[in-house]
Amino acid sequence: MKLNTVKSIALALALGSTALAGIQPAAAQDKEKFKIYLSLSYSGNAWQSEAANIVKALAATPPYNETVELIEVISGTDPQAQISAYESMIDEGADGIVSFPISSTALNRTIRRGCEEGVLFFMYDATVTENCAYNVSYLTAGFGENTAQALVNELDGKGKIFLSRGVPGNSVDKRHTDGAMHIFNQYPGIEVVSEYYSYWDDRTTQQETAKALAAHPDVDGIWAQAGEYGAVQALLDAGDRLVPMTGENSAGFRLALANPDMQEKGLSGVSAGSPPAQSGYAFKLMMEILTGKRELEPMNIEYPLPWVPAASVQVCEGDVYENGCNVFPADRVPSSFVSEVLNPVLLPEVNVESALNGTPVAGATIQPLPAEVVEAANEPGINCSRCEASETLYELTKIEPTVQP
Amino acid sequence: MANNNPLAETTFVQSGDTRRSAKISRETISAIAVAVLCVVLLLGARFVSPSLGSWSQVETVLILGSFLVVLSFGQGLVILSGGLDLSLPAMITLGGILATNWIGSSDPGAWYLLPIVLLVCAGVGFLTALGIVILRVPPFIMSLAMSIIVSSALLGYTKGTPRGAAPEMAIALMKGSVFGLPAPILFTIGFVILGWLIQSRSIFGRYLYAIGTNVEAARIAGVPVFTAQVLPYVLSATCAGLVGIMLVGYSNGATLRMGDDYLLPSIAAVVIGGSSILGGRGTFLGTVGGALLLTTLGTIISAIGLEFGLRTIIEGAIVLTALLLLREELFQKLGSLWK
Repeated sequence: MKLNTVKSIALALALGSTALAGIQPAAAQDKEKFKIYLSLSYSGNAWQSEAANIVKALAATPPYNETVELIEVISGTDPQAQISAYESMIDEGADGIVSFPISSTALNRTIRRGCEEGVLFFMYDATVTENCAYNVSYLTAGFGENTAQALVNELDGKGKIFLSRGVPGNSVDKRHTDGAMHIFNQYPGIEVVSEYYSYWDDRTTQQETAKALAAHPDVDGIWAQAGEYGAVQALLDAGDRLVPMTGENSAGFRLALANPDMQEKGLSGVSAGSPPAQSGYAFKLMMEILTGKRELEPMNIEYPLPWVPAASVQVCEGDVYENGCNVFPADRVPSSFVSEVLNPVLLPEVNVESALNGTPVAGATIQPLPAEVVEAANEPGINCSRCEASETLYELTKIEPTVQP
Repeated sequence: MANNNPLAETTFVQSGDTRRSAKISRETISAIAVAVLCVVLLLGARFVSPSLGSWSQVETVLILGSFLVVLSFGQGLVILSGGLDLSLPAMITLGGILATNWIGSSDPGAWYLLPIVLLVCAGVGFLTALGIVILRVPPFIMSLAMSIIVSSALLGYTKGTPRGAAPEMAIALMKGSVFGLPAPILFTIGFVILGWLIQSRSIFGRYLYAIGTNVEAARIAGVPVFTAQVLPYVLSATCAGLVGIMLVGYSNGATLRMGDDYLLPSIAAVVIGGSSILGGRGTFLGTVGGALLLTTLGTIISAIGLEFGLRTIIEGAIVLTALLLLREELFQKLGSLWK
C-alpha cells in the first residue's frame, strides 16, 4: 500500500477539517411565526456561545416564545459554508437573519440577494461592507486607541510593552492594532519590544506571553486583545511581578484587576472590548422592525465600548448586573466568561444563566429598547466599501491623555 | 513487560548479527544531533536578545515543551506501529474538560477521579483502535472520525462554555516545585525515562518495531499483532488526556479548542526526531529532542522583531533544514567518509 500518499492525504484532511459540519434543520413551515435564523461562526469559545445563548434566551422570552421560530446554524470558520447557509435560509423563506459574519466582504453578494427577497440581515460584532445589511458593532467605538492611551497614562509615557494581538490577517485585529499604534507612535518613550498573535484565546496568550517574557523579562506593560487573562497568568508564572495592562472583558481579568493582592504586585489597567451583548441588541432591534414597532433603514449602528477601569470593578452578588456591579465571582462563572454579555439598559430580560445556558428568565417579558440608536462612523473595509473614513477616526472617547508626547 | 529485556538483548548480540546495533547507534546519533541543535539554538539566541539563553528561558522551554513531549510519545508509538493518530486534539480537550467538570477546584479529595478521566480517554482510544484493527478503516480516517465525534459531543455536553476550574492536583503538577526545581520539569524527566523504557527496552516496544516494519512478517514470527496494534492508540489517547489535564493545570481552565494547536507539532516532533513516518523506525529520545527543538525554536522566533509572516517562514525553513540535515543518508555518507 502507498502509505506515504495516504498519509499526506491525511494531513491535508486534518488541516481542512477543523470546521464542524453545519446543521440543516428541517422545521415545518409555520405561517404564524417569524422565521428567524441565527447564523454563527464556530461556537466552541466562550464569546461565541454566550452571544448565541443570549439570542436563544430572548427568543424564548414572552411574547417571542409564541411568535418566533429560531433556528441556529453553525458554519465553522469557512466563509463559503456561511454563504451556502445564507443561501438556504433565504430559500426557506427567512424573515430575518441574525449573524456573526465570518468575512466582511465575502458574504456581500448573497446578502444583496437576500435583501432583494425582503430578508432583514443583522450582523453583530463583526461587520459586512454590504450596505443593505444592518451592522451592530462596537468596532467603530475605538477600542484600540482608548486602551492604548490608558496604558500610556499608566506608564507615564515611557516603557517597554508587548502587544498581544488577535488573529493574523483579521480585519478586527487590524482595526484594533491600527488604533493602538496611532497612539503609541506619538510617544517616543513607548517601545513595542514584542508583538505576537494570541488568537483571542487565553491559553495561547499565556504561552505566547511566556515566550515573550523569556526574551524581555523587564517588560513594563502589556496591551492585549481578548485572551488577556492568559497574560496575567504568564506574568505570575514568570515571577511575582505584574505590570499595568489593558485587555478585554474576561471575568478572570476583571477579578484580578479588583484583587488587592494583584494590585500590590503591580497590576493596574482597564477592561474594555468586544461585548457578546451585541447579539441580543441586534436581535431585539430586528424584532422591533419586524413587528412594526420601529422604522429603521439599513445602517451601521454603534454599540457603546464597555469601559471598566480597575477602580470601577465591582463583584455581583445576584444573577444580573445591578447597583453598578460588573463581574460575576469565580465560583459562578469560568475565568474565560466574557463579562459584557449582559446590559441592564438594553437587555434587562436576561441573566447570567441565560448567558451560560440560553435559558429565559422566569417571569421576564421583552422590554422595548431605547428609541434612539447611535449611528456608527464610516470605516472603509469595516462597515462600508466605497467610502471615506470619518475625520474623527482614532479620536479618544473614553479617556484623556495625562502625559504629553 | 520490561523485565525480560536484558536477556533478549544478550541473546541477540550473541547471535553475531550487528545490523541492529548499527541501526540503534544511527538513531542515537540523530537524537544527539537534535539535542545539540537545541543547545546551539539556545546559546545562539543571545544574539537575538541578551535575556535569552538564560536558565529562565530553559525553564520556559522545558515547561512549554512538556505538553509536546508527552503528546508525541503516544503519537510516536502509533507512527512506529505504522499508523497515524489524528484524534489527539479532541482527546486533549476531552481530558481537560472532564478534569475541570468532574473534579474542579472544590474537592481536593477527588484526586482518584484523575485516573478515571485517563481511563475514559483510554477507552475512546480503544474504540479508535478497534475500528482500525477489526473494521480495517484506514488509521487517519478512523482517528479523524473519532476526533469529530468526540469534539462534537464535548460541544454539546458543555453547551459551548466549559465550566469548572483546574483540579488542585493538576495545578500542583504544573505550578509546584520540588527541591527548588519546577514540578513539570521533574515530571517530564520521569516521563521521558518511562517512555524510553517502554519504547526501546520492553518487549511491547520491540513488537511495535516489528509490526511497523512488516505486519505479516511479525505475525509469522509470533508477535501478538492484535494487541500490538491496539495498544499504541490506547496509550496515545491516554497521553493526550494527560496533556489535557496538564494544560488545565497550566492555564487554570479548559476551552473547547485547547488541543487544536498540537496535532501537527506532535507529528513533526516525531519525524524531526528521526522516526520514519511510515513506521518501524525511530526512538523516543529522538522524539523528545524534536519536541524540545520545536519549542525552543518557537520561543526564539517570537523574540525576533520581524513581521509575523516572515517569522513563520523562518521557523518553517529551520524545521525543514533540520529534517534534511538529520536524514540517515547523510549519516551513512558521513560514516563512509570516516572509514
